[in-house]
Amino acid sequence: MNEGAPFNVIGKPLPRKEDRRFLTGRGRYLDDIDLPGTVHVCFVRSPYAHARILSIDISEAEQMPGVVAVVTGEQVNQWTAPLRMAPPIDGLQPMEMATLPVDKVRFQGDPVACVVATDRYLAEDAAELVMVDYEPLDVVADMFEAMKESAPKVDDALTSNLVSHQTFAHGDTAARMRQAHCVVEAEFRSHRQTHLPMETRGILADWDEGRGHLTLHVGNQAPHPYRSVMAGRMRMKESEVTVIVPDVGGGFGQKIAVYREELTVAALARHLKRPARWREDRLENLSAASHARENVARTRAAVDANGCLLALELELYEDFGAYSFYPANYLARVIAMILTGPYRVQDYAFDVKIALTNKCGNGPMRAPMAITSWVMEGTMDAIARDLGLDPVDVRRRNILSGNDLPYTMATGETLEDINPAEVMEKGLAAFDYEAFRRRQIEDRKNGVYRGVGICNVVESTTYGSKFYKAAGIPGSGHECAWVKVEPSGAVRASAGVMATGQGYETAFSQAVGEGLGIDPANVAIELGNTDVAPYGMGSRGARGGTAGGGTLYLAAQAVQGKALEIAANLMGLNSAERLRLADGVVQQFANDAWSDTELTLADIARVAYLDPTRLPDGMDPGLETLKAYDPPAMTYSNLVHICEVEVDVHTGEIVIPRYLIVENCGTMLNPTIVKGQQLGATIMGLSGTLFEHVVYDENGQNLTGTLADYLVMSADKAPEIEILDLSTPNKRTPAGLKGMAEGGVMGAIGAVTGAVNDALAPLDVVFDRHPLTPDAIRGKLRDRI
Amino acid sequence: MEKVAITLNINGQDFDMLVEPRKLLSDAIREDARLTGTHVGCEHGVCGACTVQVDGRSQRSCLTFAVQAVGKSITTIEAIADEDGGYTALQQALHEEHGLQCGFCTPGIIMTFEAYLRENRDPTNEEIRDVLSGNLCRCTGYQGIVRAVKVAAERMRGGKSEGGQS
Repeated sequence: MNEGAPFNVIGKPLPRKEDRRFLTGRGRYLDDIDLPGTVHVCFVRSPYAHARILSIDISEAEQMPGVVAVVTGEQVNQWTAPLRMAPPIDGLQPMEMATLPVDKVRFQGDPVACVVATDRYLAEDAAELVMVDYEPLDVVADMFEAMKESAPKVDDALTSNLVSHQTFAHGDTAARMRQAHCVVEAEFRSHRQTHLPMETRGILADWDEGRGHLTLHVGNQAPHPYRSVMAGRMRMKESEVTVIVPDVGGGFGQKIAVYREELTVAALARHLKRPARWREDRLENLSAASHARENVARTRAAVDANGCLLALELELYEDFGAYSFYPANYLARVIAMILTGPYRVQDYAFDVKIALTNKCGNGPMRAPMAITSWVMEGTMDAIARDLGLDPVDVRRRNILSGNDLPYTMATGETLEDINPAEVMEKGLAAFDYEAFRRRQIEDRKNGVYRGVGICNVVESTTYGSKFYKAAGIPGSGHECAWVKVEPSGAVRASAGVMATGQGYETAFSQAVGEGLGIDPANVAIELGNTDVAPYGMGSRGARGGTAGGGTLYLAAQAVQGKALEIAANLMGLNSAERLRLADGVVQQFANDAWSDTELTLADIARVAYLDPTRLPDGMDPGLETLKAYDPPAMTYSNLVHICEVEVDVHTGEIVIPRYLIVENCGTMLNPTIVKGQQLGATIMGLSGTLFEHVVYDENGQNLTGTLADYLVMSADKAPEIEILDLSTPNKRTPAGLKGMAEGGVMGAIGAVTGAVNDALAPLDVVFDRHPLTPDAIRGKLRDRI
Repeated sequence: MEKVAITLNINGQDFDMLVEPRKLLSDAIREDARLTGTHVGCEHGVCGACTVQVDGRSQRSCLTFAVQAVGKSITTIEAIADEDGGYTALQQALHEEHGLQCGFCTPGIIMTFEAYLRENRDPTNEEIRDVLSGNLCRCTGYQGIVRAVKVAAERMRGGKSEGGQS
């Protein structure tokens, strides 16, 4: 679909339209919206990780002045329908979850009751007075313990805590292992983390008793799917529910699902017939929103003497926590499907097990498949170590280059329009890998431990419906958009995706400006209101650019087509072939050149709406288009991260003097915004690898309930990052878009870990788990230095 | 808890309010003065989103009770602008250098550095990163913010007309 034509506004580094309101304190986030008479909700949460609820005494709390209501699951579960998570996936146990638990709690922080009061302070006071009598049950806080037969069951309705188990094999890995020069084994332990948007979760529910209509103000990435689920669980029609998403202070995957707290608040607003709101505090956000990334992966790689990969086997485990607000295989499956990414290998098998434990439930966190590249590149490094080869040489022998592409991976996914070999070589040259190795040897003589890590990434970006179908996951990958030219010539556009800081209003106005032939400054992008936006699948993965921007681009092209047909008619031409819109003016091609005509888009719009007898015969009045688009099964971007570290072997401190990225992410709607995504994703990956850690003790008590305990990378620790571009367009998508924004997380985890291992290689240690805190580094070096 | 009547001076304007002594300054600014540009990210003094200026110095409004701010001069993001109501040098540089994404942490960062740049007119990148370590940003990776502060400082020293706060 990409015509290869140069773009006028796509690709320009325009500054963001959103900035003015944010820079002046005039953004409107959820808590900035005020409705008269709103009551505040505070949840009473379980102090136990696993306990039977014997009784809940609300009498004292109810009597406190300012308290409007105190409710428990007994009532809320009557007002709402339970969530049934039962997609038809082999090996996945269906789960059903009530809105609030009434029989037992499954993790520390599970909500069991809620207090409604006239202000938030009073609601919190009253929550302290709700007396819950618990009978503690045995706790399982470790996924491997959870998978034992003797383990206490997290969900009593399941046959075991093994909520999901899938296997796959292509080729004959066992035979290849037997024939191989050797089989290299490696292990990777990723630790529990959480999304940590700077704005926590929350909702403001407004019930209109007269119309029987529920309006929900909520920070959410996927407003229409959210409305569908919310309507279903409120036992209402979608036509009776409006979701309005204001400015959102970050999502990172945490703001997709309908959470139990949000549903409870919606039900309370309807029951009390007045607006109700909930603002999650940071303790709740850290302990009871959603977690991610607690995985153990083991690889077995069959290789020849030169390090060529003959076969690969993956064992993957995930600790999914106590509830399944997403299909439990949803996150791990993508890791397994795209693991081999930039490398040639056809004999591949995986075994993926997901266990429930008494911890907060999981949700997709920016790059749900984040550890993929670390596992693959860590395996490459293990091969190099075991065979005594240079890690770059091992990569060179296996990496996909132009001749290999398009390449169908063992899992059936086809990679095309990517350039892993070229991207890696450009990175190595820019980094000057050979010079680094010389410097490294010199520095080691002086007791300076310097290392380099290389992480090649193939990032799955836009998931089309065909992918979901093939993966057995219900859902669609299509997106929908409209573009409208009002009678004055004012242009509005909308799509179903919703921004949480990515700058969609700017990037999308460029897609529309390009497609329609107008200045993007004159395009108003209206997102997040389900009464305004068309039904789309929302923002997740890296689909904003291709699904959102691509659909808008196609819709705008269609509107330009209609506008030019009208123009041709007004100009007395037989065809619009030699007409185009440029900066809102109709241009005509004559004498080998385009030149302006007298007609503008505003003139055409006026005719389309107010003077329709001048339209071509049979044409409907008005100037607008609704367009749906389903991207290819999958689009891929690719990149390499090269990270240099210096490890202080006496303190365990890691410093990153240099960090380089080369990326191919297709056509960029706006390179400034792309760079912002690359930087943000990379720091999130480094932060997770070096600092962040949700810590539970053996009793399932969360020990990291403040930002002084759950550490994130601050500016003084974050490196400066250099980014080089080697983008090529995707030939199948509108404008050649691919999507990006998660690959940075994937690359950072692998690159920094590889660098630390490279630095400490002389000490004969390999770090196979995170976070790489000074404690962890020293712990392994203590008996050596 | 018994409420007390207080007057807070915010952005040069007096706001009369009836608050419990335990009410946080951040909540009083947002709820009683209806100035919602000051954001609350953690309520325990780590994230820096709620930073305002009290008598010209940056301060966490979530670690301050409203009653403690009586008699002081409070400045919030809503008052940050140049003489003509346009961007300050810092706001302009943040815009140009893509120093913000979701914008939730941005007011706190602006309040921190509008004050800091009055004290240190020529900060190094290291100094900027050190000060910025008191403000968490989950979106940008900080690089654009550091660059923006550097650019703003240069412009303010150069006395260019588009930038600079008195």
